[in-house]
Amino acid sequence: MSRSYLFIPGNTPSMIQNLDVFESDSVIIDFEDSVISYDKDAARILINNFLKKFSFKEFDIYIRINDSLNPNFLKDVQATIDLDITGYVLPKAGLEAIEELNKHIDNKLIIPIIESPLALLKAEDIAQSNNVSGLLLGAEDYTKELGINRTLNGTEILYARSYIAIICNAYGIESIDTPYTNKDDEIGLREDSINAKNLGFTAKALIHPNQVDIVNDVFSPSTEEIFQAKRIIKKSEESNKGAFSLDGKMIDLPIIEKAKKVLEKAKKYNL
Amino acid sequence: MSNLNKRKIKVIKSIDELFKLIDINDFTNISFHHHLRNGDGVINYVLDKYLREGVNNLNLFPSSIFPSYTKILELIKNEQVNNITTNYLNGPVAEYISNNGLPGMLTMQTHGGRARATIEGINEIDITFIAAPYANIYGDAIGYLGKNRCGSLGYIIPDSKHAKLKVLVTDNLVKDYLENPEINGENIDYILEVDSIGDKSGIVSGTTQITTNPIGVKIAKNTSRLLFELGLIKPGFSFQSGAGGVSLRATKDLKDIMIKENIKASFFSGGITKYHVEMLEMGLVEKLYDVQCFDLEAVDSLSKNINHIPISASDYANPNNPNQVIKDLDMVILGATEIDYNFNVNVTTDSHQTLIGGSGGHSDTATESKVSVIVSPLIKGRIPVIKERVTTITTLGKNIDCFVTERGIAINPLRTDLLELLKDSKLKIYTIKELSEIAHKYTKVPKESLKRDKIIGEVVDRTFEVIDNIYQK
Amino acid sequence: MKTTAGSLESSDCLITISDSDALDIKIESVVFKQFGDDILEVITNTLKEHKIDKLKVLCQDKGALDYTIKSRLETAILRRGENNE
Repeated sequence: MSRSYLFIPGNTPSMIQNLDVFESDSVIIDFEDSVISYDKDAARILINNFLKKFSFKEFDIYIRINDSLNPNFLKDVQATIDLDITGYVLPKAGLEAIEELNKHIDNKLIIPIIESPLALLKAEDIAQSNNVSGLLLGAEDYTKELGINRTLNGTEILYARSYIAIICNAYGIESIDTPYTNKDDEIGLREDSINAKNLGFTAKALIHPNQVDIVNDVFSPSTEEIFQAKRIIKKSEESNKGAFSLDGKMIDLPIIEKAKKVLEKAKKYNL
Repeated sequence: MSNLNKRKIKVIKSIDELFKLIDINDFTNISFHHHLRNGDGVINYVLDKYLREGVNNLNLFPSSIFPSYTKILELIKNEQVNNITTNYLNGPVAEYISNNGLPGMLTMQTHGGRARATIEGINEIDITFIAAPYANIYGDAIGYLGKNRCGSLGYIIPDSKHAKLKVLVTDNLVKDYLENPEINGENIDYILEVDSIGDKSGIVSGTTQITTNPIGVKIAKNTSRLLFELGLIKPGFSFQSGAGGVSLRATKDLKDIMIKENIKASFFSGGITKYHVEMLEMGLVEKLYDVQCFDLEAVDSLSKNINHIPISASDYANPNNPNQVIKDLDMVILGATEIDYNFNVNVTTDSHQTLIGGSGGHSDTATESKVSVIVSPLIKGRIPVIKERVTTITTLGKNIDCFVTERGIAINPLRTDLLELLKDSKLKIYTIKELSEIAHKYTKVPKESLKRDKIIGEVVDRTFEVIDNIYQK
Repeated sequence: MKTTAGSLESSDCLITISDSDALDIKIESVVFKQFGDDILEVITNTLKEHKIDKLKVLCQDKGALDYTIKSRLETAILRRGENNE
């Protein structure tokens, strides 16, 4: 469970050795787009040595490997399989790619990036694949394939966002929104994050450490939500019934489950 | 109001003419201000005359030395300079002195200490040359108008009263009455009218921008969180920050907290930037007490915002001045090139013993404010900022309260009150040794090999106590 | 033939290796005074791990931590091997 997934370039020591200071709930070390092709080997060796020397308990580390058709795919997996990481972020994901990755891993989670119309159509099956713990929307590539432009309010990805949020919710996995690419626009980032949260996303991916605060803030339960959740749980423990009324509203099992989730989050994030 | 009772000051047109009226050899202790920073033209203009005349045994008292003050280096190399007393120096002069020393001594004072020493006659100044962006024929002057306006003239006001001879150097001489002049014409002996006192664009230094570096952003965030948890961000609080990128970012974070919590501050003091001005204009702070402008927006604010007030170095930080502004400071955020296990801070030299700065108001404000906070990355290019002992003490550890890095915060154990306030804090609070060990986990322990053979200078606190020596590298 | 890895960015180092009849290690570092010995030790140990005793190594260091120096040297060694295949 994370609110923020921060991408860190996989071959930049100054960023890597500070990946624990940015307060992101999860960090995604990137071997794909932020590492130029002739330095893929350097990134693999650098991360291998780094994670063998330093270990982190307070947050999750994922590695975004290269996609399954890229010659670096297998090398990326082999070089990192023994490392203490939570899992892999898989770009250009499809059912076969996930199956391929699952052949090589054990005890590691997979977060596929949904970044093509076809992947979106298959998202429900992808969500049910082995070891998949969440879906990440990759809106840049997705809109490129559709041949459309990104806009500030994001109507062009409204369907994709809604669909992914619903699927993830239905199958109980994490839904991770596409990054907001203008790293200097704090107001835009907050708005974009709130939009995603309102569609049902549980988290957002980030491309810059300075975005962590806002995203964590937006995806945290509010003081009011926590207060209400506490009341619901208290009443449910007292009433010993499946359903009861609170402030004139019916409270049933799904609402109680939701309240539990809120409190779980609040505890995890020290709220 | 009028100029009726005012005395007209003799106007001369060149430095050569001035020294026809007086004997240059009688005026070897010379002072300047540095308010035009890297854009100053007066220091080089005046010292060029001393160079040409071959006057020896000079003692220089510039409030600071910047890279563009090249004539100082020429005079030193020409063996004409004996001692230099200043508050801050960097660039070629600093490098040369680090490597070679002076025939006499380099004395590093604080801004408040310089004011005190000048007023109390410790700094015996024969002649002060005051670059004045806007002056009238009665010798009154201000810094925030004129084509080469530089803002507050605070550092030179003590000299304008206590030097034996006071020369106003201006490229903007008017006949008009000047209300509330910073420099009072009663004290002025000559007005030297020149074509240009420099270039005002030189006052802006590259560091006075809010940092976007994620490490700096995190340090600033930890700082504003700390100040908030200490209960210092409350209505009527007062605050000073250096003009470094991290300090300015912390100021911005404070601003966000103030807006959110609807809190208004009483005053900000010290070096003023456009970010401070913006907060004044937004009504977030009542007054700015300005001893130095760090950018042109701050300069222009002085002429339009009545609550943006230029003050003298003595009113700013002279410990013997009962009105010193910083006595009422609740908190100050300052930088460090090094800090040690005893919380001593160095901003005078780097770890290679090269002079790179100086106290300025560091020690003054750290001493007087209720809480002093040092901000710095824990590691700078593999060099841990925490040492067993700093290369040079600029500010004594007893005056430093908190040290904030991206990986955690150390509180001076002398401040048991602060530690008590933070005992349930979610902030990462360590001892300074623990923080040092965290750094060493990444960097390993650096080898120290400082040269301590020849003393070339001393750091003199505002108390006039010599708190450390400066050694030839 | 020269093989390189790394960069001259802050906190990184650029390693250049080439043929030699003996071990020939040269270090240029912004923190040489403080960490020159440590850098040499990392390079020597890494070469030992890879059982290399004849190589010319130039390390141009911009304040890299040990793990980075080791990684850049290992990358250069790997690339050299691939080029020789």
